[in-house]
Amino acid sequence: MRLEIGKFKVKDIVFGGETSYADGILTVDREDALKVVREDKYITDAELEIVHPGDMVRLCPIKDSVEFRCKVEGGEGAYPGVTSPLGQAGMGRTHVLDGVSLLAVGKHWGGFQDGLLDMGGEYQHYTIWGDMPNLVLVADTSEAEERHEQQKKNHAIRWGALRLAEHIAQCVRDMEPEETDVYELPPLAARDEKTKALPGVVYVLQPQTQMEALGYNTLVYGWDGNRMLPTLMHPNELLDGCLVSGSFMPSSSKISTYEFSTNPMIKKLYEQHGRTINFLGVILSTLNPKMEEKARCVQIAGQIAVAIGAQAAVVAEEGYGNPDVDYTAMLVELERLGIKTVGISDESTGRDGASQPLVSMNPATDALVTTGNVSQFYKMPAMKVIGELEALARDGNSGGWEGCINPDGSCVMENNGMFCANHISGYSRRSCSDF
Amino acid sequence: MKAIHYINQFFGQVGGEDAADSKPIFHDKPIGCSMMLDKMLPDIEVTDTVVCGDNYITNHTDEALKEIFAYLDGKKFDIFFAGPAFMAGRYGVGCGIVCKAVSERYKVPVVTSMNEENPGVAEYRGACYIFRGGRKATFMKDDLTAMAAFAEKIAKGEELLPAAEEGYFPRGIRSEIPAKNGETAAERVIDMLLKKLRGEPFQTELIIPKTDKIPPAAPVKDLSKCTIALVSSSGVVPSDNPDRIQSASAQKWGKYDIAGRDCLPAGEFKTIHAGFDPEAMCAVPDRGIPLDAMRAYEREGKFAKLYDYYYVTVGTGTTQNYAAKFGREIAAELKEAKVDAVILTAT
Repeated sequence: MRLEIGKFKVKDIVFGGETSYADGILTVDREDALKVVREDKYITDAELEIVHPGDMVRLCPIKDSVEFRCKVEGGEGAYPGVTSPLGQAGMGRTHVLDGVSLLAVGKHWGGFQDGLLDMGGEYQHYTIWGDMPNLVLVADTSEAEERHEQQKKNHAIRWGALRLAEHIAQCVRDMEPEETDVYELPPLAARDEKTKALPGVVYVLQPQTQMEALGYNTLVYGWDGNRMLPTLMHPNELLDGCLVSGSFMPSSSKISTYEFSTNPMIKKLYEQHGRTINFLGVILSTLNPKMEEKARCVQIAGQIAVAIGAQAAVVAEEGYGNPDVDYTAMLVELERLGIKTVGISDESTGRDGASQPLVSMNPATDALVTTGNVSQFYKMPAMKVIGELEALARDGNSGGWEGCINPDGSCVMENNGMFCANHISGYSRRSCSDF
Repeated sequence: MKAIHYINQFFGQVGGEDAADSKPIFHDKPIGCSMMLDKMLPDIEVTDTVVCGDNYITNHTDEALKEIFAYLDGKKFDIFFAGPAFMAGRYGVGCGIVCKAVSERYKVPVVTSMNEENPGVAEYRGACYIFRGGRKATFMKDDLTAMAAFAEKIAKGEELLPAAEEGYFPRGIRSEIPAKNGETAAERVIDMLLKKLRGEPFQTELIIPKTDKIPPAAPVKDLSKCTIALVSSSGVVPSDNPDRIQSASAQKWGKYDIAGRDCLPAGEFKTIHAGFDPEAMCAVPDRGIPLDAMRAYEREGKFAKLYDYYYVTVGTGTTQNYAAKFGREIAAELKEAKVDAVILTAT
């Protein structure tokens, strides 16, 4: 499978007459863009803003981040099975506006799963978005049935963001990319002898799929991840929009749609392919609430890894707490099968730092990379807010609580509520240590 | 900043083993190795030295702490030192006892040093900064230097680094840090993966502690012929708590006679456990030690005999090391007494 990602390097985003890209500047026709968002009858209000690294601006409550991308040839659209017809992702050519993102923010209402980030100040670099210009969609909806629910599907705003990102990226559809990344991995049996002689490595991704009700979990070609068993996928499918982030799980442990499609772990494994490793592919696994489901999933994933000849595996867990059981069980099973593992997840050490960092621990997991601590306590100075800061305290946000916002607009929170901040996708530049 | 230093009878020049029972002696100036420590601290003045016998602090802890508090209450200090205790077990435990108590009462940083084999490390590493020290007193200068360098960082308000970098035993606290060299997690994964594949040493970012797997005993064959004992971490003891078992972080267990009793009456027995609301269990101590139910089964002939003593400690905050020690000691007694099976009640 061969995928070309044609990149247009965006240095800045501005509003202007016609949506276009030239010389590193993305110009967005605000009214034209908002029309695409308002196609959904549940959208009652929508605005656009632009934020830059260093701006003393706080965004809250954030629902998702999406890369501006459009499918040029060899597929059905940016998010097949979701906002495009179902079709094979991972082949042909996709154009992306590189170095910027679209952030989808609620105008009023947040929930357990939504997040907050700062574009400036002490916490600017806690998320990747603090280091890039972002177009911000701020919207409200008439999804009254979940207005006062702590768990929100956030369907209208999330789908609005997917449509908008793809719509804006159409402006580079017929242009020649400034740079093209080629991702090509032939079938396992068709690889050259030199590559086959290298240790086979598989990436086992456990996206968040624990919600029994549909509409909250990570989508795989539009299919709810809760209703699937582990399956072997080509890394190109992930780099080409086959995964859409869910709306469940404390925000800092989530992987945004932007990160699923730009997955730095997959890119690093690609870099090593043919040099130090033979990158076999991705086992897309699941996270499950029930013990038997966890065991079944681990067993099936382990069998796939053995069948394709994996000698090593990178296991990533989108979440913490209960899913730590799936995470540790996966690592332990793979090690039992003789497959060397490295795990990547965040930790939950409690407000005093003294709690067991993972719910389930096993000495067989001897190579773990930590991306952050959901319990870390952050003191946030007051700054201009896009969205509504009160959502952090009022709407059951996983990192906020009633009274966490001071009258002067400063606030305190747990890492839990910082938008995708632990970057389990691999972007995180933080870890944890013993004190 | 001002500091006070705690040392034992030997380093306080009172005497050796013969002086180990000596009560606290207070000096309103640094003496002995406190003078060396004071010279290492440009921003901190060591104002006082407290000297106490190792046996006295470990065997008469409450009295010793009372005397030490009576002196410290009248003093102003910003940081507290103890030791270094090297491999000396009682000295290490003594430093730990004093550091923990001082930290809780005066809310100041407490710094000591011990060798990794000192039992004080396992018991008190969670309560104070214990620096990795040498095996014997020839390491005095090195160990004091490490303690002093860290205290100077506190005095200057400098950022305190993770335990491994500062050189103290981890206190069981984990916190976020920036990744080394600003590396992304994906880069760190690849580095670890390639090292692991090549069989080279690598450093995990989350060390999973090794746990002992204890095989369960064989099942009881014929219950009707068994002598059964009650063992519990519920903290139910005679009301005067004769063995002074601690309400949390227990370092002792007790053994109490129940021969001829059908229940544990409220007033005569109570729980001293600090890990839950004790009201209900104090009202009916049998809910911690189910003597009433066991007597009923004994009468029915379900089993042969209830052993004449029950064993008890407190589970909350008790370290794994102490719990394992209690288990070994109690199991040895039960085996000696030909007890066939145990009912272990937790809370």
